Amino acid sequence: MSSGLREGLKRRIERLQCLPSSPAVLQPLLELLRQPTNRINVKRVVQLVSYDKTIAAQCLRIANSPLYGRVRETDSIHAAVVSLGIHRVEDILLTCCLHQFSAGEQWATDPAVFWRHSLGCAAVSRELAERIDYSDPDRAYLSGLLHDLGILVNSLAYPQEYGAVLAAAAAKGVPLDEQELHDLEFTHCESGRILASLWKLPLAVNEVIAFHHHPAKAPAGNPVVALVHIADVLCRLRGLGYGYEEWRSVDLAGDPAWEILAKHCPQLGKMDLARFTMDLDAYVPRVQALVESVFTTKTEQPEVAPSH
Amino acid sequence: MTTEVLKPPNTEVIEKGDVQDPAYLRIRDLVYQTSGIYHSEEKLYLLAAACKRRMAALGGPITTGRAYLDHLTNPLKREVENRELLNQITIGETCLFRSQAQLNALHNVILPEIAAERSKIGLKKLKVWSAGCSTGEEPHTLAMFLMEEQEKLLAGWTFEIQATDLNDNSIVTARAGIYGDYALRNTPDLFKRKYFVPADGTRLRVKDEVKAKITFNRLNLNDDSRMVFMKGMDLIFCCNVLIYFDSTSKKRVVQHFYSNLMPNGCFFLGQAESLFQVSDQFHLVHLPGTTVYRKPPAEALKVGKP
Repeated sequence: MSSGLREGLKRRIERLQCLPSSPAVLQPLLELLRQPTNRINVKRVVQLVSYDKTIAAQCLRIANSPLYGRVRETDSIHAAVVSLGIHRVEDILLTCCLHQFSAGEQWATDPAVFWRHSLGCAAVSRELAERIDYSDPDRAYLSGLLHDLGILVNSLAYPQEYGAVLAAAAAKGVPLDEQELHDLEFTHCESGRILASLWKLPLAVNEVIAFHHHPAKAPAGNPVVALVHIADVLCRLRGLGYGYEEWRSVDLAGDPAWEILAKHCPQLGKMDLARFTMDLDAYVPRVQALVESVFTTKTEQPEVAPSH
Repeated sequence: MTTEVLKPPNTEVIEKGDVQDPAYLRIRDLVYQTSGIYHSEEKLYLLAAACKRRMAALGGPITTGRAYLDHLTNPLKREVENRELLNQITIGETCLFRSQAQLNALHNVILPEIAAERSKIGLKKLKVWSAGCSTGEEPHTLAMFLMEEQEKLLAGWTFEIQATDLNDNSIVTARAGIYGDYALRNTPDLFKRKYFVPADGTRLRVKDEVKAKITFNRLNLNDDSRMVFMKGMDLIFCCNVLIYFDSTSKKRVVQHFYSNLMPNGCFFLGQAESLFQVSDQFHLVHLPGTTVYRKPPAEALKVGKP
């Protein structure tokens, strides 16, 4: 990517920051995410969630989805925070914010597709983390949720051009990053990384955004990059991709990411990948239902008085 | 004895979400351990329905998941019951064009790869084995599918399909190639028009030109002396057959399949089956909506294990 191209991209992304739909809660929430876990204030989180009525309602709907392993029906934000734990509420809140951030804007693609893939990859990342005894499944979830932030960026920053890129990738059945590189000379990894830096997201998350397509190039010591890479590939080949089939075969156990992750999590070597893959099929309808109930912005028809 | 016409299993009895009994999760794990056939949460209701059909057939006091689990693990009953349950699980699965995901993967990825590889050495021949072909739905599907491919990607290629089954009656039915509505429920109209002729009533018979691509034979997969002669296969299909084998014979049979495959050859199981703890020589490869067990390419085999 040339320096001129990078500057142009950066300017477009900076403009995105000032989108009118950007929720007021987003900045304080990102601030919160940078805090060490033990310093997060539950009361402050509840306040943040309750601040925006739309976000509060979405939060409750997500909290009650089977994807979040709901313990019991929750009808108050406080109860949600208590029963789900602070991290899950953060995840949910961030999901809602990102949605709000991009809701009123012109998308290059169907936003529901983006949400299905992001939420699917988040859930699968956490599931994988739990199966292989990775120490921080919540971090895996957050990283899975944000890994394709760059697609959102490209979608909003280049609504016309990016639509064509997506259409071309779908028509050929090739991975999106290949088509991006061919048409735009940069991928969603680069644009996602720029927004992540502007938002001062934690470095470990930034690395996932930047390197999830090439985990071998990521700085050592962050196995979540490899973990999200694997979850991402599984989602894309198992009905939670970018809305089209990628015609390729992937030997996951032979992928460099597998070796990287196995070094950190020896359990991976013993995992029954065939069974895990079949288990993922249960996520498809759940993620779809969640996205439909929460993120599909239905155009509300204004009530028209019957004409006489 | 004639081969029974399989009827669609009645799955309406059990609704999705209605599988709350934890006994079914235990049964699921037990079935997976003994047979390698797995029911994800989404498919658990199918397993519960199969169990209920078995309970009804047993007709005794066994009416709950828990009681059926006890029956299934009873040392005196388990061998017979396990087989009966597996029959119920796979009942009605046999039809033409059963796995569209497998055919899509072949069409879009695997065959183009094989074609590219072979064009380098000018060998335009494909060998396919349908192991445990039952009443012929699978080999006939593959024959029609590959005949279509011969019009495009595989123009100028030849292929042969070996179809084997243990059961003589199944082989006789398979050779006749006559199928009713239920077996044909997934068959696209294009294929019905192109590759079938009317038989009796609403049934259709596979055209002779399709049958000519297939060699049907009786074969016991446990017969080592014959298994070693099935060499040079590019694709092997063995759906819902290994589930009936015990762990030792399963390992031996899978080893034969591995040896009989060409480097880079593909081994297809049923959609819910897995080779976990059966073979670690195959690579589990993911494709859109399906997985396949693949023998490593020739280069990898040379530098790999001694």
